[in-house]
Amino acid sequence: MSVSTNDTTAKVSLRGFLAKYSVLIAFAAIVIFFSVASPTFLTPANLFNVLVNNVVMLAIVALGLTIVISSGGIDLSVGVSVDMASMIFVMLLAAGYSGVVGVAGGLGAALIVGVLNAILITRLNISPFLATLGVLFIGQSTQQLATSGGQPIYLTSGYAADQFNAIARTALFGMPTPVIVLIVLVVAVHVLLHRSVFGRYVQAMGAQPGVAWYSGIRVPRELSMVHVLCALLAGVTGILLSATVKSYVPLSGNAFLLDAIGATFIGTTLSRERKPSVIGTLLGVLLLAIVKNGLLLVGWNFYWQQVGIGVLVFLVLAASFGLRRAAH
Amino acid sequence: MQTAKRDIAVSMTGISKRFGPVRALQNANLEIARGSILGLVGQNGAGKSTIIKVLAGIIKPDSGSIVINGETVTSLTPASVEKLGVHFIHQDRLLVPTATVGEAVFLGHEIGLGPFVSRRGMERRAADLLKRFFGMELPAGTLVKDLTTAQQKVVQITRALAQKASVLVLDEPTAALVKREVDSLFDVLRRLRDDGIAVVFISHYMQEIEKLCDRVTVMRNGTDVGTVDPRQTPIDEIIAMMIARDVGEMFPKRSVTLGAPVLEVSNLRLGGSFDNIGFNVRAGEIVGLTGLLGSGAKEIVQCLFGLKTADGGQIKVEGREVALSTPVKAVRDGIAMLPEDRRAHGVALGLSVRENISLASLRRYSKSGLVSRGAENQAVDSLIKELSIKTPHRDALVRELSGGNQQKVAIAKWLSCQSRVYVLDEPTVAVDVGAKVEIYNLLNRLAGEGAAILLLSSDLLELVGVCDRVLVVYRGRLAGSFSGSAMNSDALLAASSGARSNIDGVAA
Repeated sequence: MSVSTNDTTAKVSLRGFLAKYSVLIAFAAIVIFFSVASPTFLTPANLFNVLVNNVVMLAIVALGLTIVISSGGIDLSVGVSVDMASMIFVMLLAAGYSGVVGVAGGLGAALIVGVLNAILITRLNISPFLATLGVLFIGQSTQQLATSGGQPIYLTSGYAADQFNAIARTALFGMPTPVIVLIVLVVAVHVLLHRSVFGRYVQAMGAQPGVAWYSGIRVPRELSMVHVLCALLAGVTGILLSATVKSYVPLSGNAFLLDAIGATFIGTTLSRERKPSVIGTLLGVLLLAIVKNGLLLVGWNFYWQQVGIGVLVFLVLAASFGLRRAAH
Repeated sequence: MQTAKRDIAVSMTGISKRFGPVRALQNANLEIARGSILGLVGQNGAGKSTIIKVLAGIIKPDSGSIVINGETVTSLTPASVEKLGVHFIHQDRLLVPTATVGEAVFLGHEIGLGPFVSRRGMERRAADLLKRFFGMELPAGTLVKDLTTAQQKVVQITRALAQKASVLVLDEPTAALVKREVDSLFDVLRRLRDDGIAVVFISHYMQEIEKLCDRVTVMRNGTDVGTVDPRQTPIDEIIAMMIARDVGEMFPKRSVTLGAPVLEVSNLRLGGSFDNIGFNVRAGEIVGLTGLLGSGAKEIVQCLFGLKTADGGQIKVEGREVALSTPVKAVRDGIAMLPEDRRAHGVALGLSVRENISLASLRRYSKSGLVSRGAENQAVDSLIKELSIKTPHRDALVRELSGGNQQKVAIAKWLSCQSRVYVLDEPTVAVDVGAKVEIYNLLNRLAGEGAAILLLSSDLLELVGVCDRVLVVYRGRLAGSFSGSAMNSDALLAASSGARSNIDGVAA
């Protein structure tokens, strides 16, 4: 565009700019606000705590949902994948199996959830929303049946605790292992979704499923892969969760579902076409995490934190949508 | 003219309408008499549907006058025209599938008290009407979706009658009906005519016009070129009135050198749609395929791309037999498809030009599962240039391109794939004339490079102008194969409406 001194043009492009970067602007504003409001907010110790406790596990689940939402679907059963991985992992350790077997078993359980979703969606042609909702119900009951009505399993000492610590309490180059896992997965999913042939197919299915099918893409196969990957990523969170809290608490995975969806959609505001992206999702997760932490530091309790997050998601999305419409 | 002045229900005179540079209607006239069935015929784009939409209040004419029941009306809306007793039965069923017959008949005019609807009252009244007018009895509470297409048409007509229709306009009402249903629909329409209702019947089937109509108005190039009695005028003469002779240089000429057969179809069969279909398309050849809605031509094309699986028969590509059960296999076997619904199946509007063009051939531009952007960009850029796709840059969204350029992107996708057989389903629908010529040029070039092209189209002038040979499907069978001087719109139209066949000319 040529240089324009026209007032309205300037206004419109400013609005466009605000719309595009509303997440980043909100992010900066919130960081500044909490830095002023709470002296501990900007300390390295607190930020590190946020990263390890509020970001890593949510971000990994959100990565899976980013793939699913990119394909035009949804996975309401990510909490079940988290729980199933966690349950099998803990049960195997309780039975005396090694950490490696435990992790493999846990991921295997998540894999089964993903395969079940894939079959329901691609073979029985059930919409992703309903298929994964059904799996959510089945998965929740399964856990309660397997734990005599929802009894948690605690393994706070002995061999199992050592195995947990080997995952959650170790560090590489000064980075806790879970953070390393997150970094590896972020890079891997970014490459997969934005650089690979598979990722391009996923984007095409999300943009216009008919075109994907008419282009000779094996839509059922690719869609199965999408749901299996999502479940596996949620399974990784399940392993990290158990290792961190040294226990399995039934139905604890559901807490990730809505936050992960929220983070993914906050991330879509970065793209003009509202496409999910790995970077966007990561920003969404960080935004949610610092708001939770900040509100906690300024003394809001858990319930008010939820209200705060709801309002924030509203504001970011409304600002992005509204300003963008005005810019057109 | 035997109809006296007082019998005229609707009189439209001097109607003109422009859409941008396109003159859809030029000084067109339409007169609809009570107690008579008027046929309305013309090629696609002749202005039939536009003049009907003007009458329906959907399109506002630029000039002209409309008199309904002796009253000059100035601004029509769909609601006001219904109040005047003019009702329309549109081609695509517009009934709520999950409604009961009673609900469908009285939709928008529910019977009841205040906000409360009397469901039983509506079912009873609907049953009465159906029985009185059509002698049709349906179980109480039957749902619309459980009716046959013909029964749904009858329910739609009943809906119009329930609101005291004096003029009934039916747009291609027989397209989805079988013979027996057509006959009973005709009985219904004749009874309505005898009751003094004015019926307008739009159809491509010339035999139906001849059988049913008292008069027929022929439209061409946006105007009415004559009104005749179909029982006294031979079909050929009516067809001659419909066809414009000024094809001009819209269709670029080319010299043909045909190679070996690339696509060989034999004995192809799909239950309920078509049977015993066999033809070849040779390298460098453009073969046209046409047929009326419901003739089976569309389904043949769908079988060739694995969208439907044929019940029997053989398809060979370059001599190799292929099993086309899904588009995945069709693409792998070198078949490309340009679908009719471009926005749903042809191009993804929300993806970039680049992503669309490389979508079917990504493997060519990738190494170990990762897309090599350099190779992709290079291929995409050269296709954009080759096809002169007008786009700001390769990463612009396809949504921002014109219809013709979107269609070129859809073609580029298959060029990038180096497909051998191109199946095109109405490729020039909703693209402007300039883009049409470019698409024709592109087809010629593809053929020149040795591709085999099968063009499904209902635009007869296009078929005559572009194809080396045209196959006509009528009621599920090949009704003719036309080439050379025998390939003209008169012959194609006659063959596709069953008036004439040319079975001897069908290639074995």
